Amino acid sequence: MASLSLEHVGKKYPNGYEGVKDFNLEIADKEFIIFVGPSGCGKSTTLRMIAGLEDITSGTLKIDGRVVNDVEPKDRDIAMVFQTYALYPHMTVYENMAFPLKLRKVDADTIDKAVREAARILDLEKLLDRKPSALSGGQRQRVAMGRAIVRAPKVYLMDEPLSNLDAKLRVQMRAEISKLHDRLGATIIYVTHDQTEAMTLGTRIVVMKDGVMQQVDTPTKLYNEPCNLFVAGFIGSPQMNFIDVQVSEKGAGVALTFGANTITLTGPKADALKQGGYVGKVVVMGIRPEDVVEEHEYAEGRTLSETFPASVTVYELLGSEAMIYADVDGGQISAHLSAASAVRTGSQIKCAVDVDKIHLFDKQSELAIAH
Amino acid sequence: MASIAASKAGSDRNRTFLAILIPVLVLFIAFNTIPLLTGFFYSFTDSKGYGAFEIVGLQNYIDLFQDARVGNSYLFTFKISVVSTILVNVISLTLAIGLSSKIKFKSALRGIYFVPRILGGLVVGYVFSYFFTYIVPALTGTTSMLASKEWAWVAIVVVLVWQACAQTTIIYITGLSSVPEDVYEAGALDGATGWDKFRYLTFPLIMPSITTNMVLVMKDMLMTFDQIVAMTSGGPAQSTESISYLIYQNGLNNSQFGFQCANAVIFFIVIAVISIAQTKFLNSKEEQL
Repeated sequence: MASLSLEHVGKKYPNGYEGVKDFNLEIADKEFIIFVGPSGCGKSTTLRMIAGLEDITSGTLKIDGRVVNDVEPKDRDIAMVFQTYALYPHMTVYENMAFPLKLRKVDADTIDKAVREAARILDLEKLLDRKPSALSGGQRQRVAMGRAIVRAPKVYLMDEPLSNLDAKLRVQMRAEISKLHDRLGATIIYVTHDQTEAMTLGTRIVVMKDGVMQQVDTPTKLYNEPCNLFVAGFIGSPQMNFIDVQVSEKGAGVALTFGANTITLTGPKADALKQGGYVGKVVVMGIRPEDVVEEHEYAEGRTLSETFPASVTVYELLGSEAMIYADVDGGQISAHLSAASAVRTGSQIKCAVDVDKIHLFDKQSELAIAH
Repeated sequence: MASIAASKAGSDRNRTFLAILIPVLVLFIAFNTIPLLTGFFYSFTDSKGYGAFEIVGLQNYIDLFQDARVGNSYLFTFKISVVSTILVNVISLTLAIGLSSKIKFKSALRGIYFVPRILGGLVVGYVFSYFFTYIVPALTGTTSMLASKEWAWVAIVVVLVWQACAQTTIIYITGLSSVPEDVYEAGALDGATGWDKFRYLTFPLIMPSITTNMVLVMKDMLMTFDQIVAMTSGGPAQSTESISYLIYQNGLNNSQFGFQCANAVIFFIVIAVISIAQTKFLNSKEEQL
């Protein structure tokens, strides 16, 4: 297994478009790194540059300390699982998995052992004689994984490997990949636009937007301390509520005002606003739906703000819980409720927020001020 | 009510199908099936192509297998067909790979390589006839290949290959473009580059195009006619007489109408058998994509 180092890596196309800009990342041995972001953010391009399928136009890529910018894909000792699986349609499952070893002139016995071991791990033993066209999506996905495993490469690259699977299978395979990572002790770089995959699989997550890396952190830190508005909005589903609030001094703390509503903040967040010179200015308040509490809901252990009225516009029962979307004076807000709640569309309710969970962002730079 | 409406819609659709189908069917029967059956009938006669004739049973067929000129024309036709089919496919596949890679002026080059296809066989034949009769001897100081019993067939193969490569290349380009790019990318990571890439990935994946091209080119070559008319008229000393040319020449000009009809029937069967055999063999090599 291996470590990777990306130093000022960039991708500029002949038409001048910059797909990836000044990408810096150190990936340690055995890490499970996730590249996540919306379509066109450069995450797949970065992965393909690591694979050698795209030229790196600036910067340096090192695998185990060796610069590999100009090294052929086959000589980088990496394996990739494609979104479309990219199986060889004319070869059986066995031949697909044996192919990389056959090209490396590995002897037949060793190939056979490696293929059968991979097939056993991935439960493909009964499918070895089938062609890809006779396999289901999930089976194909496992074959693609098997083809990567047999080579025991330094680094595994996975480009949205689960996005063509149905929801149930995706959850299953997600768990399989996680187990595989533990079992192989492999360095894995995984691209997805699904933030649930990112949160559940990654040891660290790289959030990207418009070719620029926004934040690299553990899933927990990313969720609790997003560095800017984009990350705050992208990670978490449904997404964080954002409300523009006017900051004013109120005793030892500050008051955040939106419409006719006011929330009082004290402690480090209030201090950060004061010290940052935000008093008298408008900032963005971010609060996740699970941290918005309806007045009848159980809220032990939370530090709640003043309540404010809200008018429910949409009620969605999700089974174990419910979601509401409501208009408040000065904005809109979504909140989790218990499934037993009597609130429905059209209800006039009173809400409060957990002040410990408020995130504050600069309105101009969109950077986080305090969490 | 619903079923009446549905059946009315169905009969309307059937009428449309018939309106499209019947004229084509009538034309096909008039210009293909009836001549074929008429030819089959004449193959059992001693018709000269005009005047009275008598039924001679299988005599024409018996004579065919004893006629040295017919035998030679089959040998010649098979020789140029096999050589040309192999050359056309090798050259076209090479060209197609070149024209499918990232090169400048790709579209323009594809257009230029297609030009021979839009020229008639006779026109090309006459141009090359001039080329082999005057230009090549002037450059090399030799006599014309077309006047040589040993070399005339080579000149004909050159023309056939030159002209047939156009369409065959286009079919290979289409075949190559149908190979998914991600398969090549996976191959690049697995170590399939250069010759390995062609051998293990490209070749098996374009097998359907290879089947199509082998069958079409072989059939066209077996039916070579225009180029013979324009370049050698079957000469020198009947050394370049293709079967089609012999059927035409002796059937229509030398009063062997009945005899050559029998030749045409046998030729039809030969082409059909070769095409079916080729298709069956190559289909077994095709992979389900």
